[in-house]
Amino acid sequence: MPHYISLIFIFIAGIIGFYVFSYDTNFQIGVAFALASAYVSWGIIHHTIHKDICLSVVIEYVTVAILGIVITLSLIYRI
Amino acid sequence: MEKLIHFLLPRESNNHKAKILHSSSLLVLASFLVLFQIVLNLLPKLNPSILGYASNISPSEVVRLTNEKRAAAGLSALSLNQELSAAAYTKGQDMIAKDYWAHIAPDGTEPWKFFKDFGYKYRYAGENLARDFSNANDAVNAWMNSPAHRENMLNPKYKEIGIGVVEGDLAGVDTTIVVQFFGAMYTDKIVQPIAQAAKTEKTVVLTVAPTIIPTAIPISIQTIEPQVRSQILISPFTTTRTLSLIVVAILLLVFIVDAVLVSKRRITRVAGRTFAHVVFLGMILSIILILKAGNIL
Repeated sequence: MPHYISLIFIFIAGIIGFYVFSYDTNFQIGVAFALASAYVSWGIIHHTIHKDICLSVVIEYVTVAILGIVITLSLIYRI
Repeated sequence: MEKLIHFLLPRESNNHKAKILHSSSLLVLASFLVLFQIVLNLLPKLNPSILGYASNISPSEVVRLTNEKRAAAGLSALSLNQELSAAAYTKGQDMIAKDYWAHIAPDGTEPWKFFKDFGYKYRYAGENLARDFSNANDAVNAWMNSPAHRENMLNPKYKEIGIGVVEGDLAGVDTTIVVQFFGAMYTDKIVQPIAQAAKTEKTVVLTVAPTIIPTAIPISIQTIEPQVRSQILISPFTTTRTLSLIVVAILLLVFIVDAVLVSKRRITRVAGRTFAHVVFLGMILSIILILKAGNIL
């Protein structure tokens, strides 16, 4: 459970970042990449600790992160 | 129907994980979204007036809101200067004509050139730009949220304001540009003691430049209002936002249903944590809802 709290905390910080720096698209792009990286890192660390890490799991986190990045960047680009 | 169940619900045929949640499907989905953006970029080449942002921004409303923000900060109101408005409008037209979105034009033309072209001899000058906002309030709030633009709006050195709202085609998209020019003339300093008194704006104008008044208020400048375009078919931002919302909502729903069914059936599988994916997509959903159309410079 503490793992999930840290993940939720990271995401809340990201949402606040997007809201507060709504005028700075470069900052938002940076935040989007940072959040996606944090998410993948969290997945790898979490599964390593639980000893159930494997390539397919890592790929799953990476693909979900890629999808998140594509959605966020396409919106930032259209602002 | 079978295919739909295969895509959306976990069962033996999809290795007990909804097919749409497989990494390969997620990559296809991401590729589809990228392709959608490429098609959206190509649309203006097929039909130049197909993309655009609906907007209804009145220059006088921008001035009113700006002065409202200044009053809240304890500053004096800026008086609308027709020369500045004309200069701002011309700057907007220049951006449309030369197809750029920047303070300095690609040919090196600086904003101050427009001040000088209209005979505005400034002691202090500033420029804020906004585009694609649907209303004046959103544009002014965006400027206020940005420290550099806020500094311009709340600068006590500025005495006058000029607003130009221009609609036109920018990079293939029908766009509304708001140019906000701030200024203080050399002569402002001379009449400063008078200006500090209440309701002295008219006195200042008369004292400062009797020669300006006849030339500075042409009707054509005073009535520069944006032409509201009614033929806008697709807003790139709204379309992208709607599609993103649909994709994320479907994925969230499928992830949750998938997790419930797998847990009920007591299926053990090698996969990422559904809760983490749901939280991540929840964050993406929040970001989609936070982002608004409109850009400032």
